[in-house]
Amino acid sequence: MSVEEAAFGVHSHPWPRLAPRLPVLVILFGFVAFFFMLDLVLGSVRIPFQSVLSILAGQGSDNVAWEKIVSYIRLPKAVTAVLAGAALAVSGLQMQTLFRNPLAGPSVLGISAGASLGVAMVMLASGSAANAFAIRQLGLGGSWLIVIASSLGAALVLLVVLAIAVRIRDNVVLLIVGIMVGNITVSLISIWQYFSEPEQIQDYLIWTFGSLGGVLGGQLWVLGTVVGAGILISFAASKSLNVMLLGENYARSLGMSTFSVRVTVIAATSLLAGSVTGFCGPIGFIGIAVPHLTRSILNTSDHRFLMPSSCLVGAILMLVCDIIAQMPGSQTTLPINAVTALIGSPVVIWVIMKNRNLKSSFS
Amino acid sequence: MNSAILQTKDLAIGYRIRHRGPRKRKKGLRHFSRVVAGNLSLGLNEGELVCLLGPNGSGKSTLMRTLAGVQKPIDGEVMLNGARLERMSPKEVAKKMSLVLTDRVVTGNLSVYALVALGRYPYTGWTGTLSRDDEEIVRQAIETAGIRRFVARHISDLSDGERQKVMIARALAQDTPVIMLDEPTAHLDLPNRIEVMQLLKRLAREQQKAVVMSTHELDLALQAADGIWLMNFSTAEASNASADIVTGMPEALVLDGRLEKAFHRNGFEFDRHSGSFRIHHEPTATIGLFGDGTETYWTKRALERLGYRVVSDGTVSRRVELSGANGSKCWRYFDGETSETEEYTDICAVVERLRRWRAK
Repeated sequence: MSVEEAAFGVHSHPWPRLAPRLPVLVILFGFVAFFFMLDLVLGSVRIPFQSVLSILAGQGSDNVAWEKIVSYIRLPKAVTAVLAGAALAVSGLQMQTLFRNPLAGPSVLGISAGASLGVAMVMLASGSAANAFAIRQLGLGGSWLIVIASSLGAALVLLVVLAIAVRIRDNVVLLIVGIMVGNITVSLISIWQYFSEPEQIQDYLIWTFGSLGGVLGGQLWVLGTVVGAGILISFAASKSLNVMLLGENYARSLGMSTFSVRVTVIAATSLLAGSVTGFCGPIGFIGIAVPHLTRSILNTSDHRFLMPSSCLVGAILMLVCDIIAQMPGSQTTLPINAVTALIGSPVVIWVIMKNRNLKSSFS
Repeated sequence: MNSAILQTKDLAIGYRIRHRGPRKRKKGLRHFSRVVAGNLSLGLNEGELVCLLGPNGSGKSTLMRTLAGVQKPIDGEVMLNGARLERMSPKEVAKKMSLVLTDRVVTGNLSVYALVALGRYPYTGWTGTLSRDDEEIVRQAIETAGIRRFVARHISDLSDGERQKVMIARALAQDTPVIMLDEPTAHLDLPNRIEVMQLLKRLAREQQKAVVMSTHELDLALQAADGIWLMNFSTAEASNASADIVTGMPEALVLDGRLEKAFHRNGFEFDRHSGSFRIHHEPTATIGLFGDGTETYWTKRALERLGYRVVSDGTVSRRVELSGANGSKCWRYFDGETSETEEYTDICAVVERLRRWRAK
């Protein structure tokens, strides 16, 4: 026993526990359930909690309109919100660790733009109007097509950014490159818009506002399956992402294949950000804000814990955004993209202010 | 040599330069290599601390990278535990050899304990959950490195010295017979440098680890290392180009003058007696110095710094004599030309007097 230990007692430096803290996850899950129910209750028409519960339980309701609203509008929308929030948060978390950059996220590094390009290409090829209604007309097969196209578009941009990342190890340069690649993608879309009919441009613009309400029935299963697969892949990468925190050289010295981790993260991020963007439009800020929020709430960098927590926090934030977007009690709804930015930006600023040094606080 | 856990035979290290040849040639890719150092036959035994020394640009980092398997050798083989390094999978290598790099881990929110636990990566399952044994190894590594005090702190809150010990603890948790460290004492102050060296020495002694570290700290290396690998000896000597490395016990290298030769440059010289470098002061005057004890040694150093050639015979006209008991020395300055004698009780005063005289 050293002198210091003798002076302070051995127990002054207890061994920390690494195992995930389950109570926190349970509390977060409780919040998800609460806001999920709130999302079903609130809206242009306020439906009593009891009625919502009985409709969910399959017992129906005296009010047929309420039943229709909950089953066909609010429930799919709330489920989409949970899926989108979880997917975007997890993809943002992985990218911040992979790029070792606190500003990385699907919307910043051009992934969403890549997915948009994929969607635009499908709409151009199918020759129909470029909007969510067109996707619905394409039916189930069409929705798979959209997911594949937007995921491929997202993967394409991510591959380009990553190929450059191999050569340039400077994070700031990489970020600029990512933004530039995103800009190229956006400009390709705007060239296409320039040669399109005004109606198509209008439809595309509406798509870019983002909407959680366009995913119905079978499409919800498609989105759910793809997001579920993406999240499973991400969870499996948690151990490797933890090692990536040490930097690539250390990761390699620990016997990790950095190549396979990159491929895994690209695959997962493309699936997650690509599918959500395809169905809901490019939703910004959730991907970048939620990982920071989760880290500062939980004060850990263990991805085995951050992954599920980010999922839950992402779902909570997305549900809250959706509730605000519905403007409870009024007939109007706000575009979801505007609301996420309105909520997400202050969160990012708050995290920066709180931690002062974003670089040392990241991931 | 056969018992060496890490050994090389006729290893040539350097870079392969991929060169795109003229289009007409069938093989479009031609390989050119730039050999940084060749003919390296090295052996590292368990329980040995070896310091890799050499001037900047001599290929220390290239050798470290090649030994770690990050870079392929141009020629020759690296054998780790009797197996060819190139043939081993990254996971196998990770169980035999751990690295401490100069890369700075900047991640916040990463606690010291969690970071050290990452050393168990090659042993844990796909979820990365630590078993009771893993946890025990992590805790022992932390105790050994003496970082128990800040297990719960975040890596971004640590000083450079503390962080280096954490990285060494992480390498210990990896539980490998070989530990390689790339300039672990760089950017550290003297107490921390010594602590890190002592820690590494203890690991070699008590846990029979084979430790290689690259460093610029010649004096520390001479005191602590069991072996010295000295890079780029031949270029400094420009005569015998058979091997680009000199290896041996530090004391033997000093005694047979090879160390002196390797570091010979204008302006400074290696002092065989003290085992340290000295800046060479071009003497412009001669002075006699008589006396004994530590005070005399440091007076000699001060006089040499002023540009005197210090001798100890009576033929010189000017001289300094030290007398009195240790701790209450008296400096007597005698000028043979003017036959003046001055007495001082303080080293500053006598040196200042001589400095003024030199300035004239």
